[in-house]
Amino acid sequence: MSIWIANGLSQDLPPGVVMAGAWRGAELAIWRSASGRLSAWGDRCPHRGMRLSHGFVRGETLSCIYHGWVYGSDGGCRKIPAHPAMVPPATIKAEVYQCVEAGGVIWVAPAAVESDAPDLAGLTPVRSVTLRADRGALARVLAGAVAEGDLWRVPALGAVLALQDRAEGLGLHALCHDAAQRVAVSRWLDGVLRLAEEGALA
Amino acid sequence: MIAAAVLNEWYPVAMAAMVGPWPGRATTLLGHDINVFSEGDKIIVRGAGGDLAVTLAYGHVWACPGTPAHDLFPVPEAAQPGRRLVDCGAVRVKCSPLRAVENFLDIAHFPFVHTDVLGAEPHTEVGRYEVQIREDSDEVWATKVHFYQPQAAKSAAGGIVTEYMYRVAASTSAVLYKTCPNNPDEWDVIGIFVQPLTEELCEVWPWMALFDDTTPQADLIQFQQMIFLQDRSILENQIPRLLPLDPGKEIPTQADLTSIAYRRWLKRKGLTYGAQMVAA
Ligand code: FES
Ligand SMILES: [Fe+2]
Repeated sequence: MSIWIANGLSQDLPPGVVMAGAWRGAELAIWRSASGRLSAWGDRCPHRGMRLSHGFVRGETLSCIYHGWVYGSDGGCRKIPAHPAMVPPATIKAEVYQCVEAGGVIWVAPAAVESDAPDLAGLTPVRSVTLRADRGALARVLAGAVAEGDLWRVPALGAVLALQDRAEGLGLHALCHDAAQRVAVSRWLDGVLRLAEEGALA
Repeated sequence: MIAAAVLNEWYPVAMAAMVGPWPGRATTLLGHDINVFSEGDKIIVRGAGGDLAVTLAYGHVWACPGTPAHDLFPVPEAAQPGRRLVDCGAVRVKCSPLRAVENFLDIAHFPFVHTDVLGAEPHTEVGRYEVQIREDSDEVWATKVHFYQPQAAKSAAGGIVTEYMYRVAASTSAVLYKTCPNNPDEWDVIGIFVQPLTEELCEVWPWMALFDDTTPQADLIQFQQMIFLQDRSILENQIPRLLPLDPGKEIPTQADLTSIAYRRWLKRKGLTYGAQMVAA
């Protein structure tokens, strides 16, 4: 498995939006500020454990939906609405991951990782889907795929899949080499899903 | 193994008016299947190991799986003339019964979870209030709690500062007293009675004793249910599902004094069903 995990396509996370993500077994909240800055944090508010992915973005901050604690891009708590005059101690901090965009893909790794995210420059993002089957089922359908960790290249189609384990299933973030093939790759992906899910049931 | 302290408490298991003959209401208490049914004018709560101790109060059936350590907590207002008693039915929530009670004791979430009803920005400040564990009744009380509310109750027309008192009456039951818009000398009384099905699943029975003879019953129930469904969207998304009792896992502030006292009280009494004891 790879250290950098794809968590979606840049096009699917506009400014001002927060979504749920996953790094291996860890659940994440990934959000984009009004100015476009991306952040990925453990999906747990330090106050009372509420999922931060249910929160809301205001400008350059993310607020927790339970008691409205406000967090800045560095994960530090900026404001506690119940105590408006108080400056929150620096120890109140979300669990911060690294989050970068490369090749139209949102990549996440733990804070301490020093390697770079995979370079998929030149590829065209297609779409993200969730496969309700495991890697084995996917491998049976994609016999010609070349796997490098979580990146599966399908040379016959000029397609690349970045895989992501999620609670609901296997996330497949698809890209292609030839922008003109976007629609074809998207249709092919529907077929892959169907075959792999049927194969998993059989 | 469930601790004796837990077994010897009273838990709500049904709305009294809804109980019919065998098999009655088939449900779960502390992970064990039970049936709540009527036989003549008696209500029986039967588990695999026999019949449980039963008390009827506040529109609900209460059962104790062990040997009752004390009587069910009193709510004198339930017998006060002029009050309307309203049962609101049950809401099932995938969370620890203790998290459900703690949320009921919390005011700081009003502007964010019950937006424009029980609270609204920028009125988010929680002033100092008093919390004590009363030794005589062995209950947690929070008093002098004040909060600005846009529509504090179904009968409130506009924004007002509401005063609250909160009371943890049992490990999974709490009662609040709030300024009554129709009667300045009295308090509206709202309870939540939480049935622990398992450590991570509960049924919550809101109950009210109000001075309000104008609002239709259906509207009162609908108001309470709307509030509670908003709470459920929070309760089912807290991590972990169990309530952490050891300090360090979560960060309380001064607004959380009631929650701090509730957790301490649970720990001291060994009422840890639904609690997480070791920081994971
Ligand atoms: S749990 Fe996030 S602000 Fe309280
Ligand atoms: Fe609430």
